[in-house]
Amino acid sequence: MSSDAMAIHAAEVGAGRPWVQTLHEWVTTVDHKRLGILYVLLALIFLIIGGIEAIVIRIQLMRPHNDFVSPQVFNRMFTMHGTTMIFFVIMPVMFGFANYLVPLMIGARDMAFPRLNAFGFWLTAFGGLLLYFSFVGGNGLYGAGNAPDVGWFAYAPLTSRAFSVGHSTDFWTIAVLVSGFGSIATAINIITTVLCLRCPGMTLSRMPLLAWMNLVMAALVILAVSPLTAAQIMLSIDRYLGGHFFDTQAGGSAALWMHFFWIFGHPEVYVLVIPAFAFASEIIPVFSRKPIFGYPAMVAATVCIGFISMAVWAHHMFTIGMNSMANTFFVLTTMIIAVPTGIKIFNWLGTMWGGRIQFKTAMLFCVGFLFQFLIAGLTGVMLGTAPFNWQLGNSYFVIAHFHYVIVGGIMFCLFGAFYYWFPKVTGRMLNETLGKLHFWLFFIGFHLTFDTMHIPGVLGMPRRIYTYEPGRGWDTWNLIIGIGAFIQGLAILIFVANLVFSYFRGSKAGNDPWDAWTLEWSVSSPPPSYNFASIPTVSSRRPLWDRKHPEDPDNRYE
Amino acid sequence: MAAPLSAEQSKQSTQALHEIELPASSAWPLVLAFGFALLFAGLLTSASVSVLGAVLALAGCVGWFREVLPHEHEEVVPVVPDDVPVTTERHVVERIPVAEELVRAWLPIKTYPVSAGIKGGLAGSVAMAVLACAYGLLKTGSIWYPIKLLAATVYARSFHVSPAELNSFHAVSFVLAVILHGIGSILVGLLYGAMLPMVPRHPILLGGLIAPVLWSGLLYSILGILNPLLAKHIDWFWFTASQVAFGIVAGMVVMRQSQVPTHENLPFALRAGIEAPGMVPPRGSGDKPS
Repeated sequence: MSSDAMAIHAAEVGAGRPWVQTLHEWVTTVDHKRLGILYVLLALIFLIIGGIEAIVIRIQLMRPHNDFVSPQVFNRMFTMHGTTMIFFVIMPVMFGFANYLVPLMIGARDMAFPRLNAFGFWLTAFGGLLLYFSFVGGNGLYGAGNAPDVGWFAYAPLTSRAFSVGHSTDFWTIAVLVSGFGSIATAINIITTVLCLRCPGMTLSRMPLLAWMNLVMAALVILAVSPLTAAQIMLSIDRYLGGHFFDTQAGGSAALWMHFFWIFGHPEVYVLVIPAFAFASEIIPVFSRKPIFGYPAMVAATVCIGFISMAVWAHHMFTIGMNSMANTFFVLTTMIIAVPTGIKIFNWLGTMWGGRIQFKTAMLFCVGFLFQFLIAGLTGVMLGTAPFNWQLGNSYFVIAHFHYVIVGGIMFCLFGAFYYWFPKVTGRMLNETLGKLHFWLFFIGFHLTFDTMHIPGVLGMPRRIYTYEPGRGWDTWNLIIGIGAFIQGLAILIFVANLVFSYFRGSKAGNDPWDAWTLEWSVSSPPPSYNFASIPTVSSRRPLWDRKHPEDPDNRYE
Repeated sequence: MAAPLSAEQSKQSTQALHEIELPASSAWPLVLAFGFALLFAGLLTSASVSVLGAVLALAGCVGWFREVLPHEHEEVVPVVPDDVPVTTERHVVERIPVAEELVRAWLPIKTYPVSAGIKGGLAGSVAMAVLACAYGLLKTGSIWYPIKLLAATVYARSFHVSPAELNSFHAVSFVLAVILHGIGSILVGLLYGAMLPMVPRHPILLGGLIAPVLWSGLLYSILGILNPLLAKHIDWFWFTASQVAFGIVAGMVVMRQSQVPTHENLPFALRAGIEAPGMVPPRGSGDKPS
């Protein structure tokens, strides 16, 4: 970057100006990059909070008859942990990356609706604040504090007023409702941006996989969050306006809530994991020095997953006693969704096969993701088989499987994405040594915790149990799980330290530190507010390859 | 909404631009979101909070509309003169030698046709059925016993009969078993057709021995959990033998078929059989299809 450019850039980011002015700029921003960063920062704050809640849960369960916290606090901890991690960590962080990257990757200057983008972010942020305000306002402004304690899927009749007095459940309902509106706003924005703002030459078949996958994710958000929003409103009607939707004693149905929740809940898993797939699909080719293997199959598999994910929800409900037709249908759809997912894993392996693999930290996390997600898929198929599920439903086996997906799959890819795109966002490289330390500690902690967690599940330990009798064979496993959780916590602290250290002291990144092929690497790091001084024109899926290798461009072969 | 750039605009944009118009910063989305959140929070706290929320939400809506109607507020941002180089240090591209005449190719270049997989699957199904029936004859003196076992995987009533009836013909069980066996065999045959070209060395070893033994081992380990009653009635030696028989026969039949080009590089129109002369430039010409 020239000195002039540096000077203007410094002025642009606010150097030498009063902090109030800088704060005002960030608070009123409609720039997709700043909103993306705000989303990620919000998610990181909630990650720390949700992580602390997880540690509290694990300390409580580290030995039998422990009373580190009371049963009431324990219930709040697992409810808040689940709600926080799903709605206020992973969803916002995925929206943050989508916000930051999609316009840059498709050659656009901003999202289609910049103000709606800001509105979506602030709704999500206020939703999170409302959730945590419950700690002081759960029983009403003048009562004692009480956070939600009905579990993150809040089954009826536990949420009825008879069993959930005060406002703790209402704070959960309202917080999720408000953030849900924000999610829908962001999803509409992503869809419109991808469909309408691609640069010249970028046909759908040339679009980066990250944009494709975020398009599918956004469509799923609209389809999945809407039923949840409806259910939250119905629940509020039940609680305050005398409705009986979920009141079994007055002709309502507790199972109806389960259907509403899981028709959101299972697609939600794909809302979270498809962007993780997107990160892997961008990172693995670059560090394998090969184009993605089977681009059309990857797109088709993503779209297939999007469709099928809307038809698998009741595999969360095998234990409620559905009829055999319903059981068979949901077993089959669950098996079928493993096929496009398997195709993706084959294609990532195919991309790596024969490549010149560079094990940078970002790639390490993606390789970890590949194998862990495979195992998560296998235990998913096991739990998707009704008879198996009848035996291990609601046990710690389910928790282990779920965390294998969320942590072993999504979080690993997410960390990979941080290491990969941090240089673009800040202009500085994340420290590789700290990064590798972060990876190995997290890898060890993850496997100590979640491999081990399957075993007490098989031995019959139910989820959400406050404490347990000694001598059931669970003691040692829970101790190991707790130790693993602490190691993961330590790894996260190293990651945060790396973020802070590298932001101020990291080596300069340049515009393209990975020798990558998508458009975001063609602009300076960090990119200017307008992204591209002139809108690029592309003629293949790897526009930067074409510019770097004019003698052998991709467009001859696509 | 930021409008998409037309081709003409993008041409103009390649000329030197000094300023670019971007959507102006705005506090109204924040005000509206805050009002919206307070509106709901008031339901749990105090009506006055909801009233404040409603006022803020209304103000947010009005402010927002005034910013975009009739014309969107924009701010002019100066373009930073910055020449970002797009270069690489990796000028030498290593190529995997797949075919002399091709610089690049989608792999595999050739594969088996779909019919090879179907033929292999059907042939394998016969081999498997022969062994399974032989097992039935040797163990119970009836070929219907293994057929009922197969039907029982989806039709529990095949099993809920007296021991004498277990060895006799039952129409529903027979039809179900034939359908299951046929569909399963054809699908696995298709899988063999697709995967065996990727295993250039010892394909029969993989398809005929390793895969069936792994599959049998997996079933052996989980069937006791999935269906303990069925697991009790299976003779695992014969089961594995019939799986291996399927694998060897299906693999050999597939391998005997001639391979066809995959045409991965051709446009969809050509692959779909549509006559479209001139769509495919000769390789190495550098021309793009018109």
